[in-house]
Amino acid sequence: MNTLIFGLLTVISVFIFMKLGKIKASKKQLNRNDRINWARNKQPNFDEENYSTKIPEEKNKQINDQSEE
Amino acid sequence: MSKHSALNTFGRSGNPAFTRNFEQVGAIPQLERMTLDGAVNKTAILLCLCFAGAFIGWNSPALTMPALIIGTILSFITIFRSPAKAGSTAPFYAAFQGVALGGITVFAEMQYPGIGIQAIGLTFGILASLLFCYKSGIIKPTENFRLMIFSATMGIALLYLVSFVMSFFGSGIGFIHSNGLFGIGFSLFVVGIAALNLVLDFDFIEEGAEQGLPKYMEWYGAFSLMVTLVWLYIEILRLLMKLRSR
Repeated sequence: MNTLIFGLLTVISVFIFMKLGKIKASKKQLNRNDRINWARNKQPNFDEENYSTKIPEEKNKQINDQSEE
Repeated sequence: MSKHSALNTFGRSGNPAFTRNFEQVGAIPQLERMTLDGAVNKTAILLCLCFAGAFIGWNSPALTMPALIIGTILSFITIFRSPAKAGSTAPFYAAFQGVALGGITVFAEMQYPGIGIQAIGLTFGILASLLFCYKSGIIKPTENFRLMIFSATMGIALLYLVSFVMSFFGSGIGFIHSNGLFGIGFSLFVVGIAALNLVLDFDFIEEGAEQGLPKYMEWYGAFSLMVTLVWLYIEILRLLMKLRSR
C-alpha cells in the first residue's frame, strides 16, 4: 500500500512537472517590477535610485586651502 | 529610500554561474536559444540517468562513496569551471549521484523498510506543487527572497562542514543528527530551504528562456534543478529516518 501510494504520487508529480514545466508562467509572475534580475552582477551594492552619474555643480568648486578667518 | 535595503547592506549574491551567462545575450540565432521545452526535456534525461545510476547503486552499495565523491567533483567543475560544457558534465553528474543515492537508499531501507519510495514520492510531490505555485504566481521570488535563501543555504553548508570537520576529532554538532524535537525541527527547516531553492531554479530557467540565453544553458538549468533535487531527497530521507527512529 505504501509503495502504491508513494509510487503513484511520484508518477503523477513527474507527469505534472513535464506538462507544467513547458508552460510559460502566469502574467502575475512575469510582469512584476521586483523580479530577480539574474543578469545584474557587475556592480554589487550599486543603488541606481540613490546615485546619479551627474556631478553636482557645487562639487566642482576649487578648494582654497587659505581659509578666511 | 531603496526597496532592497538588505541587498544594499550585504551586497547581491547568488550562484556565480547563474549571472555570468546573461552577459552574452544578443546576437544568438533563434534556434540556438534556451527554451522551456528544452530545459524540461533535459531535466527528464538527467532524471532517467539518475534512476539508472540508482539501480546500479542499489545493487552495488560499495560504489556509494566513490560515486558521491566523483559526483561532487563534477558538480564543482560544472558550476565554477565550465557552465558552457554542462551538456557533457551534467549527465555524468546525474548518473554518479544516482549511484550514490541508490546506495544511501539501500542503507536506509535496511533499517526502515519502505522509506525510499516515501522519500522519492515526497521529493517529486514537492517539486510538482512548488512548480505549480511558481507558475501560477502564488510564490513570487524577489531579490530579497534570493538573498534570504542563499544566506540560509550557505549557513547550512557551513554548519555541515563544521560538523564534518569536528567528526574527525570524535566530536560533532549533536542536534543535527538527533531524533529529538530540535533535530527534527532542524531537518524540517533544511527541507524547507532546499525546497525553496527549487523556486530559484524555476525562476532562473524561466528568465533564461525569456531572455533567450544560449542553448547550453538548458543543460545548466536542468543541472541546477538536479542538484537541488538530490539535496532535497537526501534531506527528506534524513527527516523520515529521524521520525521513524522515534
